Amino acid sequence: MDLRAGDSWGMLACLCTVLWHLPAVPALNRTGDPGPGPSIQKTYDLTRYLEHQLRSLAGTYLNYLGPPFNEPDFNPPRLSAEALPSATVNLDVWRSLNDRLRLAQNYQAYSHLLCYLRGLDRHAATAELRRSLGHFCTSLQGLLGSIAGVMAALGYPLPPQGAEPAWAPGPSHSDFLQKMDDFWLLKELQTWLWRSAKDFNRLKKKMQPSVPAVTLRLEVPASDL
Amino acid sequence: MTKNKIPSILQTWFLRFKMEIALFISPTLKDHCEESAPQTLTCALCTFRIRHRFSSALRILEVGREKLGVQRCRDPQEVDDPPCISSGREMATPVLWACFVVLAAGVVAYAQRHSQQDTHVLYERLGSDVTLPCGTAAWDTAVTWRVNGTDLEAAHLNGSQLVLEGLDLSHSGHYACYQGSSWHLRYQALLHVGMPPREPVLTCRSNNYPKGFYCSWHLPAPTFIPNTFNVTVLHGSKLLGCEKDPAPKNRCHIRYTQLFSTVKYKVTLTVTNALGHNSTAIIFDEFTIVKPDPPENVVARPVPSSPRRLEVTWQTPSSWPDPESFPLKFFLRYRPLILDQWQHVELSDGTTHTITDAYAGKEYIIQVAAKDNEIGTWSDWSVAAHATPWTEEPRYLTTEAQAPETTTTTTTSFVPPPTTKICDPGEVGDGVGSSTGLLLTVTVTVTVTLTTIAATGLFI
Repeated sequence: MDLRAGDSWGMLACLCTVLWHLPAVPALNRTGDPGPGPSIQKTYDLTRYLEHQLRSLAGTYLNYLGPPFNEPDFNPPRLSAEALPSATVNLDVWRSLNDRLRLAQNYQAYSHLLCYLRGLDRHAATAELRRSLGHFCTSLQGLLGSIAGVMAALGYPLPPQGAEPAWAPGPSHSDFLQKMDDFWLLKELQTWLWRSAKDFNRLKKKMQPSVPAVTLRLEVPASDL
Repeated sequence: MTKNKIPSILQTWFLRFKMEIALFISPTLKDHCEESAPQTLTCALCTFRIRHRFSSALRILEVGREKLGVQRCRDPQEVDDPPCISSGREMATPVLWACFVVLAAGVVAYAQRHSQQDTHVLYERLGSDVTLPCGTAAWDTAVTWRVNGTDLEAAHLNGSQLVLEGLDLSHSGHYACYQGSSWHLRYQALLHVGMPPREPVLTCRSNNYPKGFYCSWHLPAPTFIPNTFNVTVLHGSKLLGCEKDPAPKNRCHIRYTQLFSTVKYKVTLTVTNALGHNSTAIIFDEFTIVKPDPPENVVARPVPSSPRRLEVTWQTPSSWPDPESFPLKFFLRYRPLILDQWQHVELSDGTTHTITDAYAGKEYIIQVAAKDNEIGTWSDWSVAAHATPWTEEPRYLTTEAQAPETTTTTTTSFVPPPTTKICDPGEVGDGVGSSTGLLLTVTVTVTVTLTTIAATGLFI
């Protein structure tokens, strides 16, 4: 990719490679490790929190993009956004994913998505949008760290920091197509968060044997009443 | 003539009778019947009834007749009779010809009649006007119209045509037109009065995520005539098939091929009938239409020795295929029958819950709803369960130190102490305060210490 002067994509590529190496945070050294269960729960909770956050962020951002992107029935065909990590998967394939692969797919997807999201920031006009995006990126960073933590706790290596994200616009990328890419990015992010919730829920069930619900029964002697 | 050929010719002849109105026997038959050989040609026609619509004229004379009677062409070597056999074997030729003449006439007449009397099927719009012609009868012919067998007055007539104005549903029926005093049926029609379809209402829902979803529809207003529905499902650019349900008829199913899809689904429904058509379409994401069925088998039981508890259990809906991978969370609501306000509890897992703040002795109504943990909407409320918390068996007052548990008059075995005030439903108003008041009133004859304990007990 040739770096032309003022080519923000070049900078983006550079930034992405930096980010790629960033989340390789070693797992917290915990003695008497209660197992990956709590961190899986934490990761699950993070996906729920992020999904909630994304809802308001996406609403604001799509309104900023303007119609037709903010219309509920907007149903465009996917064109250049094929390189985005897609959450779509065959049901049986998804079910049969082993834990390592499941975690790795999540990790890789969010790494890419975070990278692109940071790119979104560059043409967000309003300060409020920048702030929301920044906040979301930080949370997403946290999710990545959490996933890395789970993987490390389970003894899985982090996915290899391979090629840079392949998604880059063509030389004459129109304003509309750029907006289209933004739309698909947000859509894919939302879908991934839904999928991750299911992924981590599945992992949670596998890690912990079913714990019977503890109900606190206050046995009050009858004479007290 | 060949041995095998003639029976088949006769059979073909036989079959052809059923199809043609008038036909002559195949010339080949004639060819194969040589004068020298004994020949009989079958007069099979007289035995057939007119409705088989055939006639046939046999050029018997050309074949050669040595004897009067039934002419049947067959192979002399053949032992079996050909399939076409008449009952009147020794009929005389003039009778035979008379048979044919009558037959032919009958067939011709029948054909003529039938072409005019094919029942027409008409669909007309409610409120419109329609003019029914009396077949090919001239405008000034004297005719009689009948509706469902009842004569119509001449007032509706325009010459020989029937004029119906401002059609309503009662105009639907069988219309027939008879000409002259001979009651010759010239025209008949079945009139159906109806409406073109309005825009249908279409909803899609996934109660068996992640297997698939179904779409159901209905018309907002009846059309009174038969309608056909056609559903198409587009996933991006891919066309999916929607499998129609045998029952209920207005529903079809689609299976998910991909999960966690970012591409929306577009479902289009077209309804068509004889008077018009209409359509509607909805677009949605995979996640938004997820709505489970209500939980099943909701059972509420009192807890022994706990007068303020009720144990509620239920099951995940049987239509939800994979509660392990796609867990459901539940929403429970309950209230005593005598109050209007519900209390709510949201439960993230488990299919059991114990209510701990039930009013002693009051019958409760309990319902549960389900939702996928992350996506979609809440199900409808389940079938209600009823239960009353455990109450102690009443003991008769012996000393002041031993006081019975207080209950309402709904307990059948309970005999209230003579000084106890009868429970007045009007007293139970809005919440804890009045209940406390009731309790206090009832225990007024009991020792002071017990009253205090009872009062504090309510606020646990």
